[in-house]
Amino acid sequence: MSKGLAIVGIAEVPTKRDPERTRWDILLEVCVGAVRDAGIDKNEINAVISPNPMAQPEMQNDMALGKIPDVLGLKGCRDICIANAGGTSNTNCLRLAQELIDSGQANFVLIPHTTVQSDMPPADLINFFATAPLDKQWEYPWGVSFNGSMGLITNRYMYETGASQEQMAAVTVGLRAWAAMDPMSIFYGKPLTLDDVLESRMVSTPLHARECNLLADGGGAMVVTSHEIARQMGDGRHAYKLGHGTRFTSAAPFTREDIFFRESYRASSQDALKQAGMTIDDIDLRQIYGAYPFTQCSALEGYGAVPENQGAIAWAEGRCGPGGDLPCTTMGDAIGRGHTGSGVSMAFYIDCVRQIRGEAGERQIQNCNNVIVTTSGGSGMNTCTTVFGSEPR
Amino acid sequence: MSNYQKPLPVIQPHSAAFWEGTRQHKLMIQHCRDCDSNIFYPRKHCPECWSENLDWIESSGKAKVFSFSVTYEGLEPMFQQDLPIILAWVDLPEGVRMCTNLLNCDPDEIEIGMEVDVVFQQATEDITIPYFTPSSPVV
Ligand SMILES: [Zn+2]
Repeated sequence: MSKGLAIVGIAEVPTKRDPERTRWDILLEVCVGAVRDAGIDKNEINAVISPNPMAQPEMQNDMALGKIPDVLGLKGCRDICIANAGGTSNTNCLRLAQELIDSGQANFVLIPHTTVQSDMPPADLINFFATAPLDKQWEYPWGVSFNGSMGLITNRYMYETGASQEQMAAVTVGLRAWAAMDPMSIFYGKPLTLDDVLESRMVSTPLHARECNLLADGGGAMVVTSHEIARQMGDGRHAYKLGHGTRFTSAAPFTREDIFFRESYRASSQDALKQAGMTIDDIDLRQIYGAYPFTQCSALEGYGAVPENQGAIAWAEGRCGPGGDLPCTTMGDAIGRGHTGSGVSMAFYIDCVRQIRGEAGERQIQNCNNVIVTTSGGSGMNTCTTVFGSEPR
Repeated sequence: MSNYQKPLPVIQPHSAAFWEGTRQHKLMIQHCRDCDSNIFYPRKHCPECWSENLDWIESSGKAKVFSFSVTYEGLEPMFQQDLPIILAWVDLPEGVRMCTNLLNCDPDEIEIGMEVDVVFQQATEDITIPYFTPSSPVV
């Protein structure tokens, strides 16, 4: 039986805010694009598994109730499903796909993501993002928002680690430096300086506007298959999933012991690296979906890539941005890319594939063979870490 | 009639005693009679041992700021008149942490570790919301 999971086809649309570009426009472009990129026939797709399109009930129904294989005439499709675990939805799509592949039900699974947020009234977006992950009894009455919640964590992070506002701002500068070189980013060609970050409006201390996420439209798709099949496709150089680990903290941030997710990064990465037969020193690139700058720091600490409390220093020294010795998050995180809802982590996996294939253009990391990808959902409820390599083991 | 515009807590049967307490200006913390845990937020089952044999103790209301964030924007219009809002996580001596707002203090004077006391503000006839304020007023 053909086991393991490899990503063999990718497609993306540029992230932007453009209500003229519909959800289905994006969806069809990325589905067709990813299948063509994989070089297979549409009828070889055996399942379609999508991240839940958050706050878009019509598209949610279309996806959950089987429209995609219908519209695209996927004659070999055996099943469909949507997965929702906030920002870790894509991670769960990959895990569900792997189960179908491992059990012999599928050779190829299509994982498409689409989101349009620019057609929603700003008040609705605020309402949705203010309420979706928050406790209606123990957080919401006091005016907690996503930004407020992450401001609380960031303030404590700076207090405990001694990181300065300038060091924290350097994370956003580094992420935007990557994003400025990425044609898929809403901030393509738009790098920021430290002053740009520090002089932007204060949203919720210590987070400035530039350190918060811009909600945007976008999408992408992946075609995945088994290690064995992948090895025979193209030149055989694909992103092979080699290890995976995951941890749950809690829904409500104020009830957590692991305030900065650092222990979850540590435990999940250790599980993933162990399965892959690697240590953190074998990793060429770290792709961290955390949506807020402190995660780019605490993840490095949890991985053991830098000593505890020194994540922000690594960013401030330029080690994690372009040209650094510890490159992180070459697609710019959601801060640098534009946040595309619960399918946001699609962009992280796709960029992992680009880097392993050597197709990341100006952002290409030299000799990029092993990549660690971490995603989180809700307001940091979970931490899912995967190790991908350029060859199966 | 109250003209309170902000969202009211969505109360559950197992949290009703907390909100009955705040009406009487008492900060009540759930307590497990079987494993002796103090529990926040209130639940139907003790999250440590799943006991339903749960009771309530009154907190001193004297807390320490674990973290805070001053929110200037990005909230729904109903919060607009209160901006900036000082969000805080405060640690109670009963060993639990709660989310609240700090009132009557200058955002520039707040420090992590600062001592704060519970205060109560009536929102509607039925609902009184707990907030915290610096123990020694900052001059
Ligand atoms: Zn108990």
